[in-house]
Amino acid sequence: MNTQTPLARVDGLASPGGGMRHWRAQRYTALVLLLLSVWILWLGVSLTGADYVTARAAMSTPFNAAMTIFLAATMFYHTQLGLQVVIEDYVHIAVMESVLLLMVRLGCIGAFLITAIAVLKLLSGA
Amino acid sequence: MVIGNRAVAAPTSDLRDSRSLLMSSAKRPMSPYMLGPYYKFQITSVLSILNRLTGVFISLVTAPLLLCWLITLAAGDAAFAILNTWLGSGLGKLVIAASVFSYSFHLFCGIRHLIWDAGWMMEMQQVNLSGWLAVVSSVVLSLIILGAAL
Repeated sequence: MNTQTPLARVDGLASPGGGMRHWRAQRYTALVLLLLSVWILWLGVSLTGADYVTARAAMSTPFNAAMTIFLAATMFYHTQLGLQVVIEDYVHIAVMESVLLLMVRLGCIGAFLITAIAVLKLLSGA
Repeated sequence: MVIGNRAVAAPTSDLRDSRSLLMSSAKRPMSPYMLGPYYKFQITSVLSILNRLTGVFISLVTAPLLLCWLITLAAGDAAFAILNTWLGSGLGKLVIAASVFSYSFHLFCGIRHLIWDAGWMMEMQQVNLSGWLAVVSSVVLSLIILGAAL
């Protein structure tokens, strides 16, 4: 999808970098999260206050394990995109902006990796 | 650039000039902030800000909390019990309630944005209606979830 008019493109109007990609990624992840929300809200309600054995059994099924990893990938990608926009809008000190953007990226990648490792540990029963 | 028989500045260079002018002048009068006593209440701006705030809240509180739950579940019985006890406390319940509301609100605001992105419901009347619909839906969904979970 290209929403730029040909004139706008030669004039250099509209996003000069990866803006369109960012915009689209935010929408696609939002759509996927909308569908995954049905599952996570159902699971969240059924597991709130659950004891250790119940929660562990629920999270150790291959379906819930796969869905958790899928959700984490989509959610932390969406989180990174969203926080990036907020930082770019409100942090005007260049160094601080760069540092915060890097922290958000690393944080989201780290959060995904931690989720994946925790899920795999639960799945293996270790 | 020539339009008709008049020569006019090309839009791009025009834009660049005005931009560099803006950046070179240190202090220019600014329009008042959209919230506060200057403008009458508009649901559009309030929901826009709340959508951002709930997004940031989910990022900084809800997601890390879910992550902690998963980590303690993987770590073992003792760690999980500590987190569960805290979640059962007053503060824990407050964080859960705020998380559920933030998630519901961000969900319905997101649906609203996706509808706009498709080019629908762009008239002011529809925008106001969908705004109130998002508010009511998110409160109802939060109450249903909290009623079922707590």
